[in-house]
Amino acid sequence: MTYYVTQEAAKGFVLQCRQRHHLVSLASREVAWDEIEADACVSAFFKPRAAQSAKGFLMPASESLGHYGDRAESQDRDQKSVVLMGVRACELRARAYLDCVFQQGEFQDPLYDQRRESLLIVSCDCVECADSCFCPLVGGGPFAADGFDLNVSPVDGGFVIETGSDRGAELLKACMADSLTEASGEQLSRRDQQRRQMVERLQSQNGDFSFAATDQQATSLPKDNNEDWQRFAADCVECGACTNICPTCHCFYLYDQLLGADRFERVRTWDSCLLSSYHRMAGGPKMKLTPRPKLLGRLANRVLHKFTYSPQQYEMTGCVGCGRCVDACLGEIDIRQVVQELNG
Amino acid sequence: MISGNPYMPMPATVTDVIDETPTIKTLILEPQEPMPFKAGQFIQLTLPGVGEAPFTPSSSPRQPERIAITILRTGCVTERFHECKPGQTLGLRGPFGKGYPIDELGGKDVLVVGGGVGLAPLRALILALLDDMGSVKRMSIKYGARCMEELLYRNQHDGWAAHKKVDFMCTIDNPQPEWDGHTGVVTTLLKDLDVNKAKTHAFICGPSVMLKFATFTLIDEGLAPEQICLSMNRRMSCGMGKCGRCNIGPHYLCKDGPDINYATIKDYPNVF
Repeated sequence: MTYYVTQEAAKGFVLQCRQRHHLVSLASREVAWDEIEADACVSAFFKPRAAQSAKGFLMPASESLGHYGDRAESQDRDQKSVVLMGVRACELRARAYLDCVFQQGEFQDPLYDQRRESLLIVSCDCVECADSCFCPLVGGGPFAADGFDLNVSPVDGGFVIETGSDRGAELLKACMADSLTEASGEQLSRRDQQRRQMVERLQSQNGDFSFAATDQQATSLPKDNNEDWQRFAADCVECGACTNICPTCHCFYLYDQLLGADRFERVRTWDSCLLSSYHRMAGGPKMKLTPRPKLLGRLANRVLHKFTYSPQQYEMTGCVGCGRCVDACLGEIDIRQVVQELNG
Repeated sequence: MISGNPYMPMPATVTDVIDETPTIKTLILEPQEPMPFKAGQFIQLTLPGVGEAPFTPSSSPRQPERIAITILRTGCVTERFHECKPGQTLGLRGPFGKGYPIDELGGKDVLVVGGGVGLAPLRALILALLDDMGSVKRMSIKYGARCMEELLYRNQHDGWAAHKKVDFMCTIDNPQPEWDGHTGVVTTLLKDLDVNKAKTHAFICGPSVMLKFATFTLIDEGLAPEQICLSMNRRMSCGMGKCGRCNIGPHYLCKDGPDINYATIKDYPNVF
């Protein structure tokens, strides 16, 4: 179903939502995700994607996986549902990618499952974009077709709201039953026209790049020992900002810490494949202790994983074109440039 | 689909500690509940409060209630495992990985090539086959260590060799006064192989450099990459293909290995 609401009604929705759920919204480009006021929450729908993605709500930077040892009790987890507002289409694609990693295969990841289930997603069309946004180059776009509970499209000063799930429809009814009217055909065609314009704008701002990565086809890039990568590796300072900010980078590390004399906690924390410690094994001085001792190999492995290996592993590109790594990189490495120059 | 929290260890009691060589010990573990595994699958062994490391059990899969883990002292975690005493509680997670393709060995000659502590995971294969050779034609075991003192499971070699379908050869890198056997690295035992090359499946485990030269030697001898299975126990954190660090190309060694067909990985750099 699609509805049309005014900005005032949308603010009322946010306030109602906050009373029922833990509400998180993208605040602005400067600040990342936060609990914020209704005004800022609604005005954020008109801004580009937030500086940080929604990844941390599915996979926190650091989290306890459980306790073991003496008197190891199960921990109570906060089951209150979280409404994430202002999620963009690229982040929904990223979540679909993380679903493949954490929900496919022989082993379940109960913590990921719990977090995913507790999230209600209110996505929104992009009507503004960052200079670094490039979703059309990787088969994405500035609006979502599915994967949301509710989707918001700014139209004519108000919003077209589309329900994507029963939970979304219930949330909408519970929080703004009074002010709901069905969207008119005219409003929907305005929305669709706006979407087309946004796609054209993104295509035009990425006019210098001619590659087209897809979920089905692995992009052809040099192997991870090829010296061509050095052109870009030379600018990498191994800070790991790109992997932290990336909505699909999911590498993690498990470590244990002491809670008491015989009580221990297992913690999962984000890791970065660019760091030299990432693959390092134990062993003597004459042994090869890491498979990618050179930074160029590690940088290449990251890009190859996104563009070449992920389509083979999950039938999805590992890059959703959000451009966050472009903004975050201290060495000003632009992943678009990397793929553009090395693919073929 | 396996339920529960796959990141948390199951308690396991150390029931025995065997001094194998000056640098290698075997811990015998009794998990709280039997942990059925296939030869070649690995577990994550937890030293409470210190951390985890991946090891492939060296004991027979027939005994899931009594698992042997053979450990070379080579870093801070293995140093601490060597200090373990009977009665101590450790933790186990797993089993992970695919295990050796034992079902595909019917009618074939099996060539087992071990270097140093690399014989440990291979012992699970050896014991599984000694238990039931099925239609495996024969098993040829080639093993090398740096010196006599470092030969692993030395008191068991004769027992293995006594099986009518098994031949066993071992070598040490350099001559020693008390040694009257072969000398030279293990690849020297792979020249002029007395096996049916067209119908041989080789399993190699050892340090990276040994994996490399053993593989190249076998290819020189006429084996196809598809006939060679490498144990690639690299650094692994989760064991389930999620944490990312053990990839060779699109393959995760924890999930798709750790015993992986050389044909699958040969075109990627940094294999060895």
